[in-house]
Amino acid sequence: MSADAVVVARRERTGSLPDKPMSDFEYADSGMDGVHDMGGMHGFGRVVEPGSELAYHEGWEPRVFAIQMLVGLEGLGAGPGGRPVREEMEPAHYLAASYYERWLYSAEQRLLRKGTITPGEVEGVMERLAAGESVPEHSDAAMAERMRADLRAVYPMDAPPADVRFDRGQRVRVRRMHPAGHTRCPRYARGALGVIECVRGADRLPDRAVYGEQVTPEPVYSVAFRSQELWGPSEEAPWTILLDLWDSYLDPA
Amino acid sequence: MTHEHGHHHPRPASAVELRARALEALLAERGLVSTDAIDAVVELYERDVGPQNGAKVVARAWVDERYRERLLSTANDAITELGFGGAEGDNMVVVENTPTVHNMIVCTLCSCYPWPVLGLPPSWYKSPPYRARAVSEPRAVLREFGLELGDEVEIRVWDSSAEVRYLVLPMRPTETDGWSEHELAAIVTRDCMIGTAVPSARETAIA
Repeated sequence: MSADAVVVARRERTGSLPDKPMSDFEYADSGMDGVHDMGGMHGFGRVVEPGSELAYHEGWEPRVFAIQMLVGLEGLGAGPGGRPVREEMEPAHYLAASYYERWLYSAEQRLLRKGTITPGEVEGVMERLAAGESVPEHSDAAMAERMRADLRAVYPMDAPPADVRFDRGQRVRVRRMHPAGHTRCPRYARGALGVIECVRGADRLPDRAVYGEQVTPEPVYSVAFRSQELWGPSEEAPWTILLDLWDSYLDPA
Repeated sequence: MTHEHGHHHPRPASAVELRARALEALLAERGLVSTDAIDAVVELYERDVGPQNGAKVVARAWVDERYRERLLSTANDAITELGFGGAEGDNMVVVENTPTVHNMIVCTLCSCYPWPVLGLPPSWYKSPPYRARAVSEPRAVLREFGLELGDEVEIRVWDSSAEVRYLVLPMRPTETDGWSEHELAAIVTRDCMIGTAVPSARETAIA
């Protein structure tokens, strides 16, 4: 496969439209201003714990990682993508689940939504495995090669348009919003005053693009926020938080 | 890759493990996902893609001033020069530590991380406490890692909320004059490139 063909393949497969109307999908009642948006939350405890330096803890985890990548790149799933699907998990389930348990959830959900698998099938196989059957093997060298090529390819954002709204050093305010769907605008920054650090490129607004809407790429800026602006006074020396925000999230200030 | 399935398990599989194996079995039975494709993905990130790649990038920047400039201005190209690149590295930006600036990387919404240069993230990076606290109390988080920075150092926390993936270029320890690029790469740990540690001439990276 030529490099260009690989590019087209991954773009088509990762940017594909959902295969059925989004109204057919069931969402958690919580919407998606969800518990995954963790910046600034209290009560989770220490970062460094025994074993926390490891990427995986159990043998099934890397295989679920691979299956989730295959579901996306081989076009086996539908819906807004693995990440938004994980954000739809009920908050209590999201927090109770291990990291790769969430990935397993999103892989299975996307397969169900496309109709690649049907409800009850996984449970049926679980019973067979619990009764002693082993996991069958299937060989497809071309699929393995496609995955290696896809995961090695690089697809940068578009260059920013010449007429961006904001330049370096300009003050901006993050819009107040409360979206019921996927967004990349964290709650802790909404309403806050920041300064444009630079323009990173142009990209489709994920709030709409992940649901299959055809949207024009818009500028993405790195925006710098003073710690006092986001968190109020602190006994610690001030620090800076930098966020990459789409033009649609910002107003001039 | 040694397959977990088909082997005797010393303890009964958990419900989630059983579910994971069932999904793989179902997809293999249908011919939709191949065992060798799963193995290929797992092996790629176990063998070829990891923090040893980022360490080579950092070491090159430490010994080659023109490479350092390219890395800071056009990171994608500079990283590709060393043969690295791929998924979750489509828009690389490298941020440089100085005596007065210390950078650290987080993804508060998810677990975004520069796979081609650092591999898959450690558990703490994906965990609620890091995602919650890195932006709101970075100095306290750094102290947990044993890193105490003076008040004169500006901490810059990059929350990778969009498609840009960040890598920290740490400062080269002063005691490393005359070291080879290879020797330098050996002291560049993963955490140094996330920004929760700084390189030490006495420490060796865990690849």
